[in-house]
Amino acid sequence: MGSIEKIHEMLVSKECSCTELTKSYLDEIEKANGELNAYVNVTGDEALKTAEAVDKKIAAGEEIGMLEGVPMTLKDNISTKGIETTCCSKILTGYKPIYNATVWETLAGENAVMLGKTNMDEFAMGSSCETSYFGGAMNPFDSNYVSGGSSGGVASAVGANIAAYGLGSDTGGSIRQPASFCGIVGLKPTYGAVSRYGLIAYASSLDQIGPITKSVEDASIVFDAISKRDERDSTSKGFGGDTYSKLNNDIKGMKIGIAKEYLEGIRDDVKEAVLKAADIYKSMGAEIVYFDLPELKFALPVYYIIACAEASSNLGRYDGIRFGYKTEHYNGTHDMVCRTRSEGFGEEVKRRILLGTYVLSAGYYDAYYKKAQNLRGTIVKAFNNAFEKCDVILAPTVPMTAFEKGHAVSDPIETYLTDICTVPVNIAGLPGVSVPCGFNAKGMPIGMQLIGKSFGEAEILNAAYKYQQAAAENFKDTKWGVKL
Amino acid sequence: MVTREDVENIALLSKLFVPEEELDGLTKSMQEIIDFADTINNAPTDGEDFDDINNLSNVFREDVVVESYDTKEILSNAPEQAEDHFLVRNRE
Amino acid sequence: MSYELVAGFETHIELATKTKIFCGCTTKFGGAPNSHCCPVCIGLPGTLPKLNREVVRYAIRAGLAVHGEIAEISKMDRKNYCYPDLSKAYQISQLYAPLIIGGYVELSNGRKIRLHHIHIEEDAGKLIHQHGDTYVDYNRGGVPLIEIVSEPDIRSIDEAREYVEKLQQVMRYIGISDCKMQEGSMRCDVNISVRPKGSEKLGTRTEIKNMNSINNIAKAMEYEFERQVDLIENGGSVVQETLRYDDATNTTSSMRSKEDAHDYRYFRDPDLVTIHVTKDVVEEIKSTMPELPADKCRRYIDELAIPEKDAQLLTKYRRISEYFDKACEGVKSPKTVSNFIIGQIFRRTETEADKEIFDVAVTPEQLNELVKLLDSGKIRNNLAKSTLEKMLDSGKGALEFISESDMGGLDENALNDLCKQAVEGNPKAVEDYKNGKEKAIKSLVGNVMKNSRGKADPALAESKIKKLIG
Repeated sequence: MGSIEKIHEMLVSKECSCTELTKSYLDEIEKANGELNAYVNVTGDEALKTAEAVDKKIAAGEEIGMLEGVPMTLKDNISTKGIETTCCSKILTGYKPIYNATVWETLAGENAVMLGKTNMDEFAMGSSCETSYFGGAMNPFDSNYVSGGSSGGVASAVGANIAAYGLGSDTGGSIRQPASFCGIVGLKPTYGAVSRYGLIAYASSLDQIGPITKSVEDASIVFDAISKRDERDSTSKGFGGDTYSKLNNDIKGMKIGIAKEYLEGIRDDVKEAVLKAADIYKSMGAEIVYFDLPELKFALPVYYIIACAEASSNLGRYDGIRFGYKTEHYNGTHDMVCRTRSEGFGEEVKRRILLGTYVLSAGYYDAYYKKAQNLRGTIVKAFNNAFEKCDVILAPTVPMTAFEKGHAVSDPIETYLTDICTVPVNIAGLPGVSVPCGFNAKGMPIGMQLIGKSFGEAEILNAAYKYQQAAAENFKDTKWGVKL
Repeated sequence: MVTREDVENIALLSKLFVPEEELDGLTKSMQEIIDFADTINNAPTDGEDFDDINNLSNVFREDVVVESYDTKEILSNAPEQAEDHFLVRNRE
Repeated sequence: MSYELVAGFETHIELATKTKIFCGCTTKFGGAPNSHCCPVCIGLPGTLPKLNREVVRYAIRAGLAVHGEIAEISKMDRKNYCYPDLSKAYQISQLYAPLIIGGYVELSNGRKIRLHHIHIEEDAGKLIHQHGDTYVDYNRGGVPLIEIVSEPDIRSIDEAREYVEKLQQVMRYIGISDCKMQEGSMRCDVNISVRPKGSEKLGTRTEIKNMNSINNIAKAMEYEFERQVDLIENGGSVVQETLRYDDATNTTSSMRSKEDAHDYRYFRDPDLVTIHVTKDVVEEIKSTMPELPADKCRRYIDELAIPEKDAQLLTKYRRISEYFDKACEGVKSPKTVSNFIIGQIFRRTETEADKEIFDVAVTPEQLNELVKLLDSGKIRNNLAKSTLEKMLDSGKGALEFISESDMGGLDENALNDLCKQAVEGNPKAVEDYKNGKEKAIKSLVGNVMKNSRGKADPALAESKIKKLIG
């Protein structure tokens, strides 16, 4: 049973009140956050207010929903009305949205208890959470290691049981990679399954909100709750039906594909763990199919070109006029805007804005942006072909395990390479779920990724659930947090 | 080949100041990223250009007025404001 | 050497939809600053645009009105530039796949000014500069626009004037915009270059912005034409740049500054999906289009025998032509209706603004009734004219002023008496006529008409007088 169901049962059976539960989460945050730096803003008062409302409902004998009263967290790039939303950037310090992101509106409508906003790489640009203006979030397995990124704060909080679940966003792996580093589950939904309205954009054609949870059931419950078509997001399609009722379907005869390109340049311990998972699937009656996916070699440059191009445009609005940080001393509007941006953005963000501006600028558009769009089409097609050979694709989530803090390589290219297994899914708009599949010699978690067809969440979550049943030892608690 | 002038130009377009002493370093690092991006140069482009992921079309809003936000709320995050306007005050 | 002017227009027209292009805020003109705003149109982080269906339909109307091709597939792009009036630092527009392709505007000299395309886009907000401070109001931010881009087909300032007038006329006819240049709901940028007459090669062009009337466009173009010719004659060359027109000094000056590096980095807006216009939708919109002014004008000339000049006056504004159409229903001579409108009613709607509104005391039905009385011979022209004046003063119908006896006409004896009186009372005129002055007969007939209070049949009176004089 996942954390959400367990909490639901505790509340319904009155084993504890929602207020008591919320308080214990807040206490544990207090204890852990100094070391983990998972939360950048704890909203205890609001959390307790919601908890009280839930308790009243329970006391009145009213039925409560599965997510009602369950303490959770949001990545700090999801807009929350009246609650500071910073993207962990200096440029958005003090910014309090005047509207709610659709996902938060949905969950708040179900009386989700939000404990606070969690840490992330600045504007979701990074793979270690260390580009955060507030310093990185740490790994609950060993706080000398990074939590991963960009949704590092959510992964750290969920991994440390100081939130039952959280919502992150995934542009090139930002849900799956930190989930993998922190030994938990992270689902990047199909593009369009979940509304992006209110998610502060990094790269609009790649961004997608999804759950980061302790278990596959939790991911399924949260996904089902948030995957609705949203009138405010033209690119949202919603997800017809549910995934939860399809968990634990038999996977006998399911074809699990392994593309050899996904195993190239992968560290041995990671590769071994993934292949061991393949064996487990085989023993459950699935068929393992090997094939080539040569188009993957273009995925990373294509990702960086498209993501940075869109980011350079999305981040133009931070100009010190309508919201956020504004420089003190300037000479005229142009000077004010340039100073505000130069002071307000961190190095990695500036680097990506410049790169994005470059690939869109006159004379380079065709060679980079247009070419990348063309290759994106090629990659989409390659995945479509692959899914004629198999039902789901099994791959490592990250070529390595969490690295030690400060190690987050100074060389940008080398850092970018950590995204090599995660970005193809974003490029093709497919769903991918990262599931813990073992530990390395130092006890740090290893993650594997199940990639599905477009809107194939039910299939990959079912496959992930089956694995969780068969390899429960890989889903470990840490020393931190609330013991349910 | 990324030149210093290229970097100066894109910095201006991006509304970012690059201090003189950082220009060479940034040019070099941009060159490295562009070299990396150049790996797509030899890729075949026989495919069709990417469009919408989900091939959506005609997602429209009807022409019905929705009440606007209160001006106070609209201005509530402005670093500076005056007389119901966002304001960039002259600091010269 | 003599030079030829070569000009093309980029015309922005604000669409009269109820709401903005990407959010539900009102497009109403005016309003307190930043009171027609929401998170979407002030570009708060995380907000997403959603396209107003009516914007697409209005733009299709515009496209049909200028004979453009409606693209089956079109897409929205981002035009990136950072300026305080642009809340997202990009304008959502169309470059790579605009909604309307081609089309033309036909001028009275028969030349067709070809259009390159028409696209939809959003307007920016308003900046007020005061003592070096900049105040920003986003009420206009996100108001829908179409931009009509012409080919460089215009060869004279008269053509430029007519091109703008024709666009204004047709866009008003189809009801998509009020096209008020003063209020900014129609704005023109002109690309202008010169070349030696006879040359086929295009010269270097400049772009002039900030003209808020057709007269200013003409003046700015005149100034710029002279400036470019002078430059070339003196051995210089034209620099491609954007110029601002200053109507106080009637000069143009460069708008360029070091801060505006112009590279718009257009790319497909990933927040918006493809616009797919089916043939059915185009047909459906076509069926709701009014008769266009050029077609109306042709019809008036060909079918109603209205002189061309008058037909143009009648079709200049949609209200006038509709008034005319109604007043003409079932009358024998539409020309008479036209004469009443252009002669008498126009005197009461003197300004162009009045003509456009065409709020006249007499309804077209009332005018129709009056003309039918005339048609049936029940009243004479003079009486009709004076009656119309009374109708215009009072808003009352013709029958309020014309009695049964007025309509009864004159019996034979009474007419004979009046003719006799006229001949006896005006010996000088009689003498003149006898001496070969044909015109003198008119004054005698006039005398009969006056004394009969317009009831006499002038032709009959004339023949009787001629008989009396012998």
